[in-house]
Amino acid sequence: MENIDLVLVIVVVAALAFDFTNGFHDTANVVATSISTRAMAPKIAVGYAAILNFVGAFLSLEVAATIASGIVDADLITEPIVFAGLIGAITWNLLTWYLGLPSSSSHALIGGVVGSAFVARGPEAVFGEGLIGKVAVPAVIAPLLAFAVAGLAILVIYRIVGKLRPGPVTRGFKGGQIISGGLLAVAHGTNDAQKTMGVITLALIANGVLQPGDPPPTWVVVSAASAIALGTYMGGWRIIKTMGSRIIKMDAAQGFAAQGGGAAVILASSHVGFPLSTTHTISGGVMGAGAAKRLSAVRWGVAGNIVVAWILTLPAAALIGGATYGVTALFGTGAAGPVVVSFAAVVAVIVLYTRRAQHGMAITAES
Amino acid sequence: MLPIADPIIDWGTVVTVVWTSAVGGIGVTAVFALFILGATRSVELRRDGDAFSAGAFAVLTALALVAVTAAVVFGITAMTHKS
Repeated sequence: MENIDLVLVIVVVAALAFDFTNGFHDTANVVATSISTRAMAPKIAVGYAAILNFVGAFLSLEVAATIASGIVDADLITEPIVFAGLIGAITWNLLTWYLGLPSSSSHALIGGVVGSAFVARGPEAVFGEGLIGKVAVPAVIAPLLAFAVAGLAILVIYRIVGKLRPGPVTRGFKGGQIISGGLLAVAHGTNDAQKTMGVITLALIANGVLQPGDPPPTWVVVSAASAIALGTYMGGWRIIKTMGSRIIKMDAAQGFAAQGGGAAVILASSHVGFPLSTTHTISGGVMGAGAAKRLSAVRWGVAGNIVVAWILTLPAAALIGGATYGVTALFGTGAAGPVVVSFAAVVAVIVLYTRRAQHGMAITAES
Repeated sequence: MLPIADPIIDWGTVVTVVWTSAVGGIGVTAVFALFILGATRSVELRRDGDAFSAGAFAVLTALALVAVTAAVVFGITAMTHKS
């Protein structure tokens, strides 16, 4: 019993750590265009996004406990499988952050769980149709749709305000970015914090603490909201720089078109239960807003690297999740495996952070 | 559309997402651009002494502001009421 409880605690801590990296990694989706166009100062932008992420996490609990449903066989999922999946997702999130590449935290989580479930239970634990219908197809549709919507939106905007003096227009769209960015932050908090709530709730059900169908306890909601908000406030500055200025050099109208078009795609898909990635959508919107003005305005090399990261996210996280499960299984079915892996992960993060500090901290709000 | 893909992909949902995203995304950004157009032109025309045209653009500004506010409220409602 003590072993089971310790595994549960480790899964909860790993889920909150993933939630933190999710916020940290996805800050760029919400604030990058606003910072790039100077609609908001960097620290104010991340503070604003963090508060609205926190608020968004409380708005709806309808999608909690649905992560990876229809993709892996929920009856075969155990706490060590979830733990290994979380480690796969956290590792991929940190790696892509280090490289400054915006990739989907949701796909990383799904990939991690798919990989660990595959290693633990074999191919019958993974539903191929679910992977195609819920991950692969949306991953293609999201950026293309956002690209088209943001591209058409900026053409319409330029048609309407093109002959006006630039000063008031720029100020107006900077104001619009504060609204559209806020909407994105709320949507992100609503969607992504609930994935963590879902993971923790599933672990609590598997452990017998909750009954199937029970809503997430208040402490789960508050801790998941706090972790994603804290991660958002810390800001993944490398990705913010890529999203905000390395894909295109955007003006305020383009920033508004990318955010507004992206928000519309996310809200429409969320409302009908079609699982799109926030990262894919906003990245597509940024590229569309740039390409509609001038194709050569988009740095296609950077865009290509981002697309490669998207393609690699699921298999890479699956590989890490599967390997992690393999290592934990070497120590048996108790808590020893997760404890050893957690300890190794914490040591690896400390070593990486120390090495980074020795070479100068990377990109911050000031740079 | 491949028949074999039908059970895997809900094409009806995909079509719904595409058209609602297009209408919402392009529509709301266009209305916000009209808000900026109305506000800017209203101030300029009032300064030039053309009160009637300035008033017309002020009405456009107000209508666009109401429409954008309604869209934001609808967006938040859509977030809290998922299908």
